[in-house]
Amino acid sequence: MMALYEWLEATSLSTWVREGETIWAFPTVLTLHTFGLGLLVGASAVMDLRLLGIGRRMPIAPLRSLFSLMWGGFWLNLVTGTMLFAADATKRGTSGLFLAKLLFVALGVATMVLIKRSVFDAPADPETAAPNVKLQAFLSLIAWVAAIVAGRLLAYV
Amino acid sequence: MGLTIPHLHLLLNHVPTVGTVIGVGLLLLALVRRNDHLTRASLEVLFAVALLTLPVYLTGVAAEERIEGLAGVSAGAIETHETAALLAFIWMQITGLVAWLALWQGRRLARPTSASVGAVLLLSVVTLALMGRAATIGGEIRHPEIVVNPDLATAVGAPTGWLTPDAIGGFVTDFPWVWPAAESLHFLGLCLVFGVLLAVNLRILGAMKALSFASLHRLLPWGILGFSLNLITGMLFFIAAANQYTQNVAFFWKVLFLGLAGTHFLYLTVFDKMWSLNPGEEAGPLDKVVAASAIGAWIGVIYWGRMLPFIGNAF
Repeated sequence: MMALYEWLEATSLSTWVREGETIWAFPTVLTLHTFGLGLLVGASAVMDLRLLGIGRRMPIAPLRSLFSLMWGGFWLNLVTGTMLFAADATKRGTSGLFLAKLLFVALGVATMVLIKRSVFDAPADPETAAPNVKLQAFLSLIAWVAAIVAGRLLAYV
Repeated sequence: MGLTIPHLHLLLNHVPTVGTVIGVGLLLLALVRRNDHLTRASLEVLFAVALLTLPVYLTGVAAEERIEGLAGVSAGAIETHETAALLAFIWMQITGLVAWLALWQGRRLARPTSASVGAVLLLSVVTLALMGRAATIGGEIRHPEIVVNPDLATAVGAPTGWLTPDAIGGFVTDFPWVWPAAESLHFLGLCLVFGVLLAVNLRILGAMKALSFASLHRLLPWGILGFSLNLITGMLFFIAAANQYTQNVAFFWKVLFLGLAGTHFLYLTVFDKMWSLNPGEEAGPLDKVVAASAIGAWIGVIYWGRMLPFIGNAF
């Protein structure tokens, strides 16, 4: 595995992201990663708050559009996150904190897919959706908070 | 004519005092006349003044760095002014926040409740007193002719207590967990405010048309929560490491975009036309322009914030 990380870190793209003396290298990749985070977690938070009962006068079905924001943020961050990882692969690959972050992101995405299925793709009216939907929304919030805290702490290890 | 940051502080520093006087005056007049429109106007003024107080505080710290070495300038007087200004700033922000909440509530209940208007009145009177005090001490830094007792003014030492810029800065830098914890909260706040405002503004732009504006309006306090969280954590960073920001061009742009984004919060709960946007209805072209520029303002805030260490000198 270490050999793979070392190879990854030595690729010209990784070297450019890490060492490129231009605003377009590390600074821009990191900024795009922040925008992806804002889209993915921001839209998820709005969805989760509504499912937890905030703003009951708001019908749930139209919120389906939020999934395009979430997926947009997700793909943006998959690409930029991979670049950031590759630039620092030997360090990140062996970091427990980084693995924890990946786990929380996976949990967040899993709850997102679960909510899409149980609330929006179910034959029943979204308003009378599955009783455990609040639990899913709650788990989603917890997962994203944990992912952000873990990701933010990566800057200090 | 070059406009320096200390110059900007001198230009802006009358806004919090004069603005609060106007806000409190309008509010009292509204109560006497029992006029709801005036009440709303006074709350709007207080919110706007709270927003403008942010650059006043920030430019003040930048001005301090420029003049603290000059002859005839007492470091003690500056510190006393800074501490008084921080206390006034905090009360001003709480006043602005409660004024916004009263406006938001007034939207849903036809008028702000007397409890919230009373709370704003109380807070704004305290703010006015504290702001007047900060302004008076500030004036004495460069105007020896107005000092009543010069011996007393030069005898002023560094302020003590926990609510001083020194004590807060010490708290942030002395404990290694404070800065990372505040950064984590700053990013959570970012998601909250960005997510809520994106949803509301995309609706105005034509997405999720089945939602009425009024139903989305319910989410706005969660956006304000994120905004407040980030104001608090952001001020911790600024107070602890001011020189990273006062000389930082990215920070200047971030605060400018923050002002636009903050004004937009007022717009979202004040204008009647937006409030009556029913399910399925299309917003007007001007409202769409405002919605698009609000999203643009938040993109600007995040961009310049993230670029603080790269374009500027923050870590």
